[in-house]
Amino acid sequence: METLDPRVRVVWFLGALASALAVGVAVFVADRLALDLGVRVDLLVFVALAVLGGIVALLRYRVWRFEVQEDALYLERGVLTRVTSVVPFVRVQHVDTQRGPVERLVGLSSVVVYTAGSRGADVTVPGLAPERADAIQQRLRALAIESEPEDAV
Amino acid sequence: MRLHPLSAALRGLSRGLSVGTALFFLGTAVGAIDPPGGVLAGPLLGLVGFALGVGWELLYYRRFDYELTADTLDIASGVLSRRDREIPLRRVQNVDISRGLLQRTLDVAAVEIETAGGGDTEASLRYVSYEEAKRLQRDVGRRKRGHTGDAGATGDRTGQIESTGEAGTGETATSAVASGAAETGETMRPAAGEDDERAAAEGARPTTDERSELFALGTRNLLVLGLVAPDLRALLPVLFFAAPVVGLSIPDLLLDSGVLAVGPRGAALAAVSWAGSAAVTAARYYDFRLTRVGDELRYERGLLSRYDGSIPLEKIQQLDFRENVLMRRAGYAGLAVETAGYAPGGGPAGGSEAAIPLAGRREVRRLARSIEGFAAADLERASFVRPPERARRRYAVRYLLALALAAGVLYAVNALLGGVGAGVGGALGGVGGVGDAGALGVRSLLGYWYAPLALVPVALVAAHLKWVNRGYSLGSAHVLTRNGFWRRTTSVVPYCRVQTVIESRTLFQRWRRLATVAIDTAGSSSLVRRGARAVDADSEEAATLRETVRKRLRTTLAVHRHSATPGRAGDG
Repeated sequence: METLDPRVRVVWFLGALASALAVGVAVFVADRLALDLGVRVDLLVFVALAVLGGIVALLRYRVWRFEVQEDALYLERGVLTRVTSVVPFVRVQHVDTQRGPVERLVGLSSVVVYTAGSRGADVTVPGLAPERADAIQQRLRALAIESEPEDAV
Repeated sequence: MRLHPLSAALRGLSRGLSVGTALFFLGTAVGAIDPPGGVLAGPLLGLVGFALGVGWELLYYRRFDYELTADTLDIASGVLSRRDREIPLRRVQNVDISRGLLQRTLDVAAVEIETAGGGDTEASLRYVSYEEAKRLQRDVGRRKRGHTGDAGATGDRTGQIESTGEAGTGETATSAVASGAAETGETMRPAAGEDDERAAAEGARPTTDERSELFALGTRNLLVLGLVAPDLRALLPVLFFAAPVVGLSIPDLLLDSGVLAVGPRGAALAAVSWAGSAAVTAARYYDFRLTRVGDELRYERGLLSRYDGSIPLEKIQQLDFRENVLMRRAGYAGLAVETAGYAPGGGPAGGSEAAIPLAGRREVRRLARSIEGFAAADLERASFVRPPERARRRYAVRYLLALALAAGVLYAVNALLGGVGAGVGGALGGVGGVGDAGALGVRSLLGYWYAPLALVPVALVAAHLKWVNRGYSLGSAHVLTRNGFWRRTTSVVPYCRVQTVIESRTLFQRWRRLATVAIDTAGSSSLVRRGARAVDADSEEAATLRETVRKRLRTTLAVHRHSATPGRAGDG
């Protein structure tokens, strides 16, 4: 089983920080306009959310596992709800690598696998070193082509 | 080919009227600002709008061209921006023909063609003559089946059919014999090497189009269907129109009776709405018949509007048995087929076309076997593994907590109001516009805050019923899952149709060592109908289930690949 690159925690934490900031600003505005509680609720909310985001990022990293097995891509993830997915290569429609702005900053990459399924139709493996992401994409593409495409639906 | 000439008139009228009315109201509104001269603005703009709408549709008709070639359907359309579309016939999932009352009297029809890609309907021909619609439906089906001598397409078909019928070939053959001897040759596919001869033979033999009726909904079953599965979406219109007819006023009824003392008038209203929504269901499925034509299923239904469509057998992703509580009591069931054609919730009957709206349970099973080549053993002797007993405890706890919460909230409100005195109650009543008497009524009712606790036995029974109706079963060729008490759905997924397997465990499930396994196909499940799921299985069993489904997918596909022709193009 492979784990993700440790730097993915930074990506997740920065994401959580951004949303904490957004909520904090909203609370700040609401407090100024209407509530006027006197305490710095905005700051409290921001710090609480940021700490929570940090904890979740750490836990999520500890749970995340994936493996390119002989017939399928196998993933385990989820902090509160544990999710284990099996994506058979025969079902893969196409494979993307993606790099978001924060991921680029840290030097990481994601692989997105698409199937024709009605739910869970796309599966993302985040936090991969770019070389690893490319290798996985190549591998999945080869495996998907090797297994016959008419089976995809 | 052009559309039917009448479609210019039909489309023009409807578009003209809608644009005309919109502009009429706009004109009237604007005209009201300047009364003396403005009176004419509405009618004038309305006329202009009508003319514009008619003109647009006339152009649409003149610039619409379609052609059915040997292996594609080509459509060139568009008034201002043009679009040329080619749909490979082998990718076609469903061909649906619909005719409203007006279209029926004019003998024209709308044809809609679905493929697995995209959210919308891929091709919509409004309108062609009914004869032409049937020709399209027939020819799309026939050419897809490789009558043009296209070896690739034929090979593809062989593989697909084998992929569904492999484990139950014997069963398929017998049921096919039962439903029509001409089908036997169709169901029993030959070995791969014979493809070309086969194709040639089929080309020469016209009997492949032979029809055999699988199912027709009789009058008695139609009535039963209406009564046990009334169309609740029709409830509002029914209340609106039917209630005044029987001399009932709903506002009066609500005002003078309250919930508990409805009495005979309420009963009459209930009966009327039941009958009304039953009639809507009955009209929808009037004269329903399901026919098998070669490799396709054809359905026809409808009293006022007629619908008929084709579902290729090789594209069927999963089957759902649907039985609501009334149907189960009376020994009936319904069957739905899922293809990858419709977008979630977008099909003619909301996602998937009912293969059989209602029939006796044994009849439904017999039909299911003949439709998909089911291994009979998977259906007849499906032994469902129920969730462990702690799952039932979980449901009971969940319902009891909900009741406790309701009682707690009522208690808190009661204590709050009682503590502060009548002043607050009166104020609240005043805000609500009910007045002091009303507020007093509410407060005396709040005295019974513990009333929800009376439902504790109901909650326990409900937990048991939920538990007892859940389960999964691993068959030789299919995995079955079952859920729901009020509307029980049993999903049957062939291993070879599985897309992904997703096992999830929420925090609460992990406490009780439970897990949910979702078996995803390319069918059109939505938020409401969430596909095949084994809910709250023991977590070790769930892991086994996940791995078993995965392994069986691999082995079934390996068998097909072994027996299939090489060099096939993709499907789906």
